[in-house]
Amino acid sequence: MFLRLVADSFTRRPRRKLLTGAALALGMAVATAALSVSLDVGDRLAREFRSLGANLVVTPAADSLPLEIGGVDYRPANSGAYLPVADLPKIKAIYWHNNIIAFAPTLETVITVGNPASVAKTSSYIPTHTVQFLGTWVQHAIRTADGSEFVTGIAKTNPWWKVTGRWFDGDERECVVGRKLADELGVTVGSYLMLFTSSKGSEISSNGLTVVGVVDTGGSEDNEIIGPIFIAQQLSGKPGEYRKLYVSALSKPEDSFAKRDPKSMSADEFERWSCSPYVSSIAYSIAQALPGTDVRVIRRVADGEGNILRHVGALLWLVTFAALLAAALAVGASSAASVMERRSEIALMKALGAGRWSVGLLLAAEQLLLAVAGGGIGYALGIILARVVGERIFGVAPAPSMLVLAIIVALAAGVTLLGSAIPLRRAARFQPAPILRGE
Amino acid sequence: MGAAVGNNRGMFWRILRRQIFANRGRLFVVLLALAAGAAITAALLNLQIDAKRRLTAEFSVLGPNIVIVPVQTDSEAPSRATLDERILDEVPPTSPDGWSPVNASGYLYLVADLSGPTSRTYQPVVIAGVRRSLADKGVAAMRHNLRPPGGRPCIVGSKVAAQMHLQVGDQVLLHSAAGEEPCRVIFLRNMGDAGDAQVSPELEVAQRLAGLPGRISLVELTARGTSGQVNGYLEALRKRFPNAGVRGVYQFSEAQEKIYSKISGLLTATVVLVLVLTALCVMAAMTNVAMERRNDVGLMKAIGGATRRVVRLFLTEAALLGLVGGLVGAALGILLSMELGKAVFGVAARPRLIVYPIAVGLTILVAIASSFPLRRLAGVRPAAVFRGEA
Repeated sequence: MFLRLVADSFTRRPRRKLLTGAALALGMAVATAALSVSLDVGDRLAREFRSLGANLVVTPAADSLPLEIGGVDYRPANSGAYLPVADLPKIKAIYWHNNIIAFAPTLETVITVGNPASVAKTSSYIPTHTVQFLGTWVQHAIRTADGSEFVTGIAKTNPWWKVTGRWFDGDERECVVGRKLADELGVTVGSYLMLFTSSKGSEISSNGLTVVGVVDTGGSEDNEIIGPIFIAQQLSGKPGEYRKLYVSALSKPEDSFAKRDPKSMSADEFERWSCSPYVSSIAYSIAQALPGTDVRVIRRVADGEGNILRHVGALLWLVTFAALLAAALAVGASSAASVMERRSEIALMKALGAGRWSVGLLLAAEQLLLAVAGGGIGYALGIILARVVGERIFGVAPAPSMLVLAIIVALAAGVTLLGSAIPLRRAARFQPAPILRGE
Repeated sequence: MGAAVGNNRGMFWRILRRQIFANRGRLFVVLLALAAGAAITAALLNLQIDAKRRLTAEFSVLGPNIVIVPVQTDSEAPSRATLDERILDEVPPTSPDGWSPVNASGYLYLVADLSGPTSRTYQPVVIAGVRRSLADKGVAAMRHNLRPPGGRPCIVGSKVAAQMHLQVGDQVLLHSAAGEEPCRVIFLRNMGDAGDAQVSPELEVAQRLAGLPGRISLVELTARGTSGQVNGYLEALRKRFPNAGVRGVYQFSEAQEKIYSKISGLLTATVVLVLVLTALCVMAAMTNVAMERRNDVGLMKAIGGATRRVVRLFLTEAALLGLVGGLVGAALGILLSMELGKAVFGVAARPRLIVYPIAVGLTILVAIASSFPLRRLAGVRPAAVFRGEA
């Protein structure tokens, strides 16, 4: 009898049930979308933040103090220590290798450069400007331990550098020139530059470079020439070496635990610390992989990123909560309305001797059935919605998750029951007679 | 005739009043839905405007976004080119966002020899004399309190400290061709940038060491605002200081724009979804209304009510509900967003008055749009209703 009543209620008025079910499905679709996007959003935002550039810098531990003013190092070329480029693939073999987004070694050397305008008059280049040459990688492919290829370079560690023209090819005698220096030298894309090592003042015949781009950096690099690292190695006489390495790593915002000195931790704490992707524990594992290095966290970037990420994360959870609340309210209200309209039916059942429990159970069973069906359809719709929203905002769709499905069905059931409980309580107090009389 | 019109109008409002209060339970559901929708909409819109302001503040922590450098006339010795120190006082003190102060710091760089408290050996280091603007009074006062009894304070980079075995409280000696200056280490700096290999005394100390009184080599500005505002400010600076190079630091401004656009997109998407849900909620209630009022409408039509007037009656009801729900909900939402702003950013969000009419307007629109089910009433045939046909 009970089942027949439930089935009857669905078949007798399919349109009304469809409407309530649609409301439920739509509400739950929104809830699904909000949950899926916000579960995914932390990772997405952390990735967006890597457009701030490198958050770790690696220098030789045995290095002398750099005498750097305005981006130009005034140390003599042969003072200080260098590191071998050949070690760099090890970075992609550390425990946190998946968190390393990009890295780029740099080697800087002071040179004099010839203005191409001087060629016409004297038929040979005359050095006119003392500038810094920055050798680095742009699109450098590294073979990692698992055999795949990892492409990295300065364009990824410093993504705000804007090149007019194109970046140089790492194997060619090409370079890009900082905007300010380009204006001073009067060079444009396609010009030819002659480099001279400043120490001897004598021309090294092979160091003519083609300018393939002009770069805007907003920093001291606007006064520099940037080219392949092998040219910088030739110019400074340091084959196979670099001086600074910039690393951009995905990390978790640091809390007070993360900032403790690893030496003061107990074994358990150290285990926990090194298994969390804090920027300082990533720095620690890089230092382990590259012997003789001093790995520093660029605090301005790492701390600022951590703070903003925490705040924005809180904001987005709040928004998710608002969307869930609105969805719950809508679903609750529509199920309340669907119970209210059945006052006369309830009255009739009571007049025929049904107790408030059997009436409640009947309606609850109906609502639950609707909730599971509506919630399931809503989940499917919500995944599509999350895909649309995720792709529009982050360019990547969040992956569907079973956790969200469970939450959604539970939420749908809870909210519909709660929504129908309120009018049911009132219905329990109805006197059947006046309702049946139509009052 | 005039009396009849007046009567009609009176009748219109009387019917309306009866309709609205006929079913208090449903009235409550509809009002609750509309008010909740309005509250969430208002709160999110307010947070969206506020997030922009908060983010520019948060990003300004990342570092200066404008630098002023000397235009190099002598390319052989770029480090010797300097600016007049007075440029620091001439920088417009208000950020392009219109209210927050500009933080300006002036630096003078030189290479000098440093010797520690015990050894007499000298190590060449970069000296970065620093002066912060008046806007940074807090820093200046703190510095003043920290001023140690013996000698002027200086901040020492951690790389320098490690190499020279220096600790906070040590007395160091800075030595250049122009003279010797003692200073006391008050802080070891470990920020992972060039400053870790520098020693920062007060600006005057560096100027005396360099023999360049009243000169600085670099000004760093932190000016808050959107990228458009900051670009305008950059132009103003260029006009003001034609003899200096003014350039923007893009590293942070680009990321700021990107991240704001993501957050703003998410908030807008949520507002739209919440409004759709509100509409859904009201629609569910209105479907009931349509069923229930078939008799009423049948009666109205039977005694000569034109379909248009009947529809107008219901639309006015919906608009009134939207207005009341919107007025109450949006006010609550703005209050809510102020609290939420405090929870998220630690600073209460400022209420924006523009949000209020927008939220109320949207709520009314939603209420009217979601009375769509009432459209069926237009098709009611009085005779059929009175015969008892469903």
